[in-house]
Amino acid sequence: MNPLSEYQQLLTRRNFFGHSGLRLGGMALTYLLGRDLAGAAAPSAVHPPLPGLPHFAPKAKAVIYLHMNGGPSQLDLWDYKPGLKNHFNKDLPRSFLGERITTMTSGQTSFPVAPSKFNFAQHGQSGRWVSELLPHTAKIVDDIALVKTVHTNAINHDPACTFLMTGSEIPGKASLGSWISYGLGSAANDLPAFVALMPRFPESGNGQALFSRMWGSGFLPGRHAGVVLRSAGDPVLYLENPPGVDRSDRRAMLDVLNQFNQRSFERSGDPDIQTRISQYEMAYRLQASVPELADLSKESPATLELYGPEVKTPGSFASSALLARRLVERGVRVVQIMHRGWDSHGDLPHQLGNQCLDTDRGTAALVQDLKQRGLLDDVLVIWGGEFGRTVYSQGTLTHENYGRDHHPRNFCMWMAGGGIKGGIVHGETDDFSYNPAADPVHINEINATMLHCLGIDHERFSLKFQGLDQRLTGVESVSVVKNLLA
Amino acid sequence: MFRPWLLPSLLFLTCVPAGAAPAAEAGALSYNRDIRPILSDKCFACHGMDSKKRKADLRLDVLEEAVKPLKEGTPLVPGNPDASLVWQRIVSTDPEEVMPPPDSHKTLNAEEKEILRRWISQGAVYQKHWAFEPLVNPTPAESETPQMRLDRWVNERLPAANLAPLAAAEPPVLIRRVSFALTGLPPSLDETEQFLRDNLPGAYERMVDRYLASPRYGEEMARHWLDVARYADTHGLHLDNERQMWAYRDWVVRAFNNNQPFDQFTVEQLAGDLLPEATQEQLIATGFNRCNVTTGEGGSIDAEQLFRYAVDRASTTAQTWLGLTVGCAACHDHKYDPVSQKEFYSFYAFFHSNADPAMDGNTLLTNPVMKIKPPDYQTKVATFEENRNARQAALNAKTATVGYQDPAEQNPLPEVKDTEVIWFDDAFPAGAETGASGHPQQLVEKPAPVASGQRSLKRSGEGMAQDYYQSGAAPLEVPAGGRVFLQVYLDPQDTPEEIMIQFHTGEWLHRAWWGQDIIAFGAVGTPQRFGAGPLPETGKWVPLEVEASSMGLLPGMKISGIAFTVHGGTAYFDRLGIKGRLDPSTDPSRSFTAWRKSVAGKDLPEVPEALRGWLKEGPDKERSGGELQQLRGYYLQNICAGTVAELAAETGAVKEANKELAAYLESIPSTFIYRDLEQPRDSFVMKRGQYDQPGEKVEPGTPAVLPPLTKAGIRANRLDLARWLVAPEHPLVSRVTVNRFWQQVFGTGLVKSSHDFGTQGDLPSHPELLDGLALHFQQTGWNVKGLMRLMLTSETFRRTSAAPAEAWQADPDNRWLARGSRFRLDAEQLRDQALFAGGLLDLTMGGRGVNPYQPPNIWEPVAYTGSNTRNYVQSAGTGVHRRSLYTFYKRTAPAPFMINFDAPSREQACTRRERSNTPLQALQLMNDVQHFEAARALAERTLLLGGATPESRIGFACRTVLNREPTPEERVALLQFQTSRLEKYRAAPAEAIKAVTFGTVKPSDVLKEPELASWTLVANLLLNLDEAVTRP
Repeated sequence: MNPLSEYQQLLTRRNFFGHSGLRLGGMALTYLLGRDLAGAAAPSAVHPPLPGLPHFAPKAKAVIYLHMNGGPSQLDLWDYKPGLKNHFNKDLPRSFLGERITTMTSGQTSFPVAPSKFNFAQHGQSGRWVSELLPHTAKIVDDIALVKTVHTNAINHDPACTFLMTGSEIPGKASLGSWISYGLGSAANDLPAFVALMPRFPESGNGQALFSRMWGSGFLPGRHAGVVLRSAGDPVLYLENPPGVDRSDRRAMLDVLNQFNQRSFERSGDPDIQTRISQYEMAYRLQASVPELADLSKESPATLELYGPEVKTPGSFASSALLARRLVERGVRVVQIMHRGWDSHGDLPHQLGNQCLDTDRGTAALVQDLKQRGLLDDVLVIWGGEFGRTVYSQGTLTHENYGRDHHPRNFCMWMAGGGIKGGIVHGETDDFSYNPAADPVHINEINATMLHCLGIDHERFSLKFQGLDQRLTGVESVSVVKNLLA
Repeated sequence: MFRPWLLPSLLFLTCVPAGAAPAAEAGALSYNRDIRPILSDKCFACHGMDSKKRKADLRLDVLEEAVKPLKEGTPLVPGNPDASLVWQRIVSTDPEEVMPPPDSHKTLNAEEKEILRRWISQGAVYQKHWAFEPLVNPTPAESETPQMRLDRWVNERLPAANLAPLAAAEPPVLIRRVSFALTGLPPSLDETEQFLRDNLPGAYERMVDRYLASPRYGEEMARHWLDVARYADTHGLHLDNERQMWAYRDWVVRAFNNNQPFDQFTVEQLAGDLLPEATQEQLIATGFNRCNVTTGEGGSIDAEQLFRYAVDRASTTAQTWLGLTVGCAACHDHKYDPVSQKEFYSFYAFFHSNADPAMDGNTLLTNPVMKIKPPDYQTKVATFEENRNARQAALNAKTATVGYQDPAEQNPLPEVKDTEVIWFDDAFPAGAETGASGHPQQLVEKPAPVASGQRSLKRSGEGMAQDYYQSGAAPLEVPAGGRVFLQVYLDPQDTPEEIMIQFHTGEWLHRAWWGQDIIAFGAVGTPQRFGAGPLPETGKWVPLEVEASSMGLLPGMKISGIAFTVHGGTAYFDRLGIKGRLDPSTDPSRSFTAWRKSVAGKDLPEVPEALRGWLKEGPDKERSGGELQQLRGYYLQNICAGTVAELAAETGAVKEANKELAAYLESIPSTFIYRDLEQPRDSFVMKRGQYDQPGEKVEPGTPAVLPPLTKAGIRANRLDLARWLVAPEHPLVSRVTVNRFWQQVFGTGLVKSSHDFGTQGDLPSHPELLDGLALHFQQTGWNVKGLMRLMLTSETFRRTSAAPAEAWQADPDNRWLARGSRFRLDAEQLRDQALFAGGLLDLTMGGRGVNPYQPPNIWEPVAYTGSNTRNYVQSAGTGVHRRSLYTFYKRTAPAPFMINFDAPSREQACTRRERSNTPLQALQLMNDVQHFEAARALAERTLLLGGATPESRIGFACRTVLNREPTPEERVALLQFQTSRLEKYRAAPAEAIKAVTFGTVKPSDVLKEPELASWTLVANLLLNLDEAVTRP
């Protein structure tokens, strides 16, 4: 072989085929494109989409992902099993127990069934059974598609969260928000394309860890990582000028800075300098747009009332929910709210009650608020945890108190809004909510469906990394859940 | 007839420089260049290596398979496309037949089809993938220096790209470029001046050598390596608690500074523990394979974790040295590269017998770990031990002089005596830290009722009230047959409903009460709440007595507190004590034999190990005289009531000496090391990468496509593996390594995909240069500093990065190197530069990671409630100004200054960082306290050292940050900016004070705040310039 000239010829051949984007790693072309457009002051330049995306006309333009971290109990919220009352404290039939249970309960000598102590009632036109813990969400059941049979691969928090958000249990992959930012960019010129929020959670809650990989960019360029909008300190890191430095100082400084940088560009010819100039200007704009975003004073009393009194407390779930609406209104593509404390191994009724009290009203308000504004058709709202919880009790079981261990075989998630058929339920579980009885939905299929609503064919949405076509939805073939689509 | 290649050819003529003939025109096709990329992208997923995914039993990646006839025909008939099934399927219009099939979402365009057709007609010649071919020595030895050869190999490629080499950059640019490349810091003013003043030949090389000799060199080299090694200071999963292995990080720094040959560097990290008589340094090096993320999450399944750790270690090793992404083969045969699933698990088997556990325990030190002994360790320990031994000898000598006769051996036996010990009379025991609920403590004298001595304790309360202590006093021992007694006087005018005494033995668990059972302490009917009888008669002192055992107070128990309690009334308490019966011949604290009887069969952790077994065997077991003497010595020194006090000084001295030794040992840090289990685990192919689906059993081994492995023993081990990697015939290791150093120096590797030398990776831009450097590296003894020097002293490296627009357009990524590479500094370099410019940088090397400035709520909102890295505590003093390499690396929430500038999370190996350019970066460089404080410090230096005039100060600041004088235009702009800010701050001095006091370092008090604030903004501006954040 004669490798000496092959590389050059290969490059040339790719040019020849008009694939010069490949040479720059696929994304660089857009990057250059974006830069040029930025120079021409085109407003769509800040977060441009990948060429060829969306693959087809999208139903939803934005996603608000409500991640209930720790694993909410499907049995006490959505998966109504009145028959379990007759099984109180009886051992779960061994035929149900699989091999894979966590070592936290695998040592238990018995697996006593713990029926939910909460009352369920039917709500809405759809007659959806909803637990008394969710009085507000019960009002929006006709807008949501409930999936009762979501299942996942992992059984512990860390791998399950990583799997849910990146399609892999192994750290290092790109998060779903960063994928969407990478593919679709966003229309927000003064805000990031992907924003992550981490509201406070009740003290009674068993707070598991969050990991930056859940909103990180993995192998995608760092600019697609979720920007954390913080409830304490600067809402965006380093947003505020140092003490004693005001906006006019910054303007004056940027004017000189730009002048210097322009001269550097003229000297060196490096186009990256032009990008840097526009990013400093973007930073300056962010310093104004983010405080405006976080300022809820212009919201109507009716809107604030909808979200409840907690909405006025920065960092509450309710205020995060309202912020999510304001973000998508301003063109942000993905908002991810990560609410912790749902890991109820013990004292579940008390813990779960507080978790719902903290989130129920804000969740329902968000959907209602979007709907009232006509935004719900454009925004996909997703609710769920990284897994569900076992029907058998962990620790002591009484009629009033019990705990539940992790349960990845079936749990409930719901979707609402852009592209989703409201008022339906998909999938059914067995009598013990232990396995799907019909229509199981893998977590990758939830993600595939989410991408579909956004106009993305998840199979074609890939990036080569470590020798593999990486996809958010993994290497195994999965399908969009058509039944959920409007 | 439509000729599909015509149109693209015309396009080609318009956009490709002359001299670079496209494959379609060039006649002979090359498999590696022209064919494999197409097949690999479009065909191998179903017709490649992966036997599981293979469709129609057709394999196209090797000739022997592709020419085997199938039912439908022969896939490849070399020389005859029309007879080849492959070609028939490619051109088929039947959607059921056409390849690639529509549902694969892959298509071949007309040009690709034509190339495949021509390749078949030219004979379908296959080649081995270039990176698996042996290194070729591209040029016979000439009179050229290695630098000249390097430059020639670069220059030879330029005409074809229609580029011409640019001239060398200006010296100030050069020194900035070299200084960052080798030390990660900008040049100091002195270093620049020394270089600029050196007009003799070789000045540049001397400057490079100075930086190579700097200790900062090892730090800069190490941070690149630590990205690959995925080093961090936390476990990475779930709790993400701290782990202690920074000694490994420091070892890497030392290895580079000592210019350890790269082959040794490799062997020690992968197999230092297997080297004969491994040194401490070699063991520290094995930390490489302990850097992976681990979990301690409750509920995790051991087998699954062990599987993952081995996959991670195998993948990281392959990635680092082979430049191959073999991780895919964990689940299936590698679709593109010739690594089968079985070969992956054979590779994995090297790492599957790890001695470290599945669960890290969330502890600082997860075994196996090793204390890092300082050079004077042995002497120090010997000194401590000598001291201890001397004191022990003194104790033993004194013990021998003590007169003791075991009462159990006396004849006749000593008589049994009643004893009485007073615990309270006139006062609580000495030292007792008393408290009261209700009114304060009242010790009253006559004429108030007093039963004994001078005072009694008066206690009244409307409800429950009491006097008590539970700490501070010497413990009171409960004797055998103990009976607690006390005197009580109840006020007839204010008679309580209940009185109670309570005893504390670590907790309040022992009570007796008289009267009504009102006070709700302790469980009813237990010794915690013993009802001792009715209230005594009022108006007189009444003696009360209660069996100690009825309150759960058993012989030998130590009482640490007493309480006198009443409910609703007034009582006087006096003379509380305990009666016992002392039988010296059966009392363990008096009789050696009785003591041995009492501890027989027990495990006593407090007793020295040597004596423990003897004691456990009891007094009936025959003991030698020496053994008995040791036991007796221990008894007299520690147990015997009559002698402990007499020996207390000597015993205390021994204890003290032991404590000193323990404290010294405790102060020595440890580090994670890698070890195998004594008995290796069996390893299996894991079906579909499932930890619980073992298939065929495998032995440690390497992929067949690479040179054979030499085993020293029957079973190959990591040492064999490491030596195999650095053997001269290995085609990958030196190429991969040289390429990564090239990437570090030039910004992009000769193989751009520095992590992937497989068939999906990029081809080398300069194959002869890559091979030439790789061979040179091997032949010079894997000399890293030599290699760095070679690259940095080339003409190629020295070229100016300023180029006309056409040059940027022709080669945007500078792959052809006609100009110098220009790129944004890395995260660590940016921060270190600011601290350096401000004169704040603390150059202390090594040790536990430090916590510099960080905004609140980075760790806290994400961490698990019980994590020990939940709360961020900023380091004290100059800890906030250490080099960024030493920043504590928390994997689940790395420092924002790192990730904001594309540093990896260190959850897995990272061979190449992105270089993004975002507004969040701008915000950080402008507003982060560490950058703003550094700007202020630079402003102070400017005002104090930069001369008296604004002009000279502008010059000083520009030289410090940009390594050059400002242009006249820039000088004017900066001065105007400074003046306008000065006006503002003069009008608003409070704002100036705020600006100059941001951070922990106090500003110089000789400077006026408005002036300093205005210059701070100038410095902040300079440090934000593109020129400042870029390696020029």
